Amino acid sequence: MIKKQTAKILAFRYKILALILVILAGGLVLLPKYQKNEGIKPEQLLANAISLERYIATDQIAHKLINQDPSFILVDVREEASFKKYSLPNAINIPLKKILDAESGAFLNQNQFDVVFFSNDNFEADQAWMLCNRLDYKNLRVLKGGINSWFKTIINPPKPTEDMPEEAHNLYTARKAASMFFGVAYPDQVQTDPLEKTQTAPKQIITVKKKKKAAEGGC
Amino acid sequence: MKELEKIQNISVASTLFILMVIIGLLTYKKPKNTFKLNTKTTLENITTGRFFVNQNNLDHPNYALIDIRSPYEFQKGHLKNAKNIYTPELLNDTHLDYFNSLKNQGKTAVLYGNNPEEANAPFLVLYQLGYNNLKLLKAEQHYFQNKLITTPVEVESSQADVAAFIKESVKNSDANAEINVISPIKKVITVQPKKKKHAEGGC
Repeated sequence: MIKKQTAKILAFRYKILALILVILAGGLVLLPKYQKNEGIKPEQLLANAISLERYIATDQIAHKLINQDPSFILVDVREEASFKKYSLPNAINIPLKKILDAESGAFLNQNQFDVVFFSNDNFEADQAWMLCNRLDYKNLRVLKGGINSWFKTIINPPKPTEDMPEEAHNLYTARKAASMFFGVAYPDQVQTDPLEKTQTAPKQIITVKKKKKAAEGGC
Repeated sequence: MKELEKIQNISVASTLFILMVIIGLLTYKKPKNTFKLNTKTTLENITTGRFFVNQNNLDHPNYALIDIRSPYEFQKGHLKNAKNIYTPELLNDTHLDYFNSLKNQGKTAVLYGNNPEEANAPFLVLYQLGYNNLKLLKAEQHYFQNKLITTPVEVESSQADVAAFIKESVKNSDANAEINVISPIKKVITVQPKKKKHAEGGC
């Protein structure tokens, strides 16, 4: 009899426990609200966005390209048409709209290479950077000034005037050399007649006069 | 007797479990700011929507101008009726309250910096936090003789045809000379697509 009574009390306790668990499970309903809150915290995103560390200058990129630095990928976030018209050497095209696609993720979400975003200026590249940064992708950079700045500094560098400091002239020569690497030709640098004919020295004609032999003497 | 012991153990275990859950709930701190939009929807919205305001249309009574530059620059010169909210202080309570009040009043906040790129980052942070009453001013600020000059500017416009420029330069230099354009060796990057992770959890 005693056993039966204790069993009854225990069964009641189970019911209460089960009820509490069910109520706690109801908390799961709150979860979908936080599902939209993917990625890093807003405060962290803002802190990252303020830092100018993400910007990389055109000169640096030119230097890396010329030295065939294998550690980075250039990502053109413009439309396909502008990409086909002109883009940086070896760049891959991921239009801004497709930046979060699964195929793009393979390029962007990896630790092997630095990813350098660029567009016409750095507006769309920054947008791509912000979204990928929120998803906590690593090693993301933005080309400061984009293609427009690339044209102004590397492809068509402004010629310094003579009163400018030496650094400006050195920078110009470096940029000019870089632009030649990327296909620009300068009239003063093109050798129009690379093989100059070597002047052959006129042959000296040496006429050897025969000496008249003296008549050999008789006796 | 054995049966009773077992039952007791189970009830002790489940009470402990419930206690842990309750402690977890009590210590859980709700994050101050949470994103209301995920990245996919944000991307869709920013690539399709129009968020620029021209300088000429600023007189609209519905617009509230917000200067995201530093207080120092703001004091040097700013647009008329602008309120200074420096980017690093964007998520302060007072500023967020201000944005909330703008949203409740149905007003549109127009952000501007030295150029549209500068205002882009605070714009995107706020936008993802769910403030959809935001615009960007399509203008640049310069100083000329200690005066702030605002000039309209185009965003993401191609300023030069680089390919044509290179072709032209080759043509100009010498039509006859053959120029060997050294193109960098094509780098082949093989990135293996990451395997999709299985959905975690679930019982």
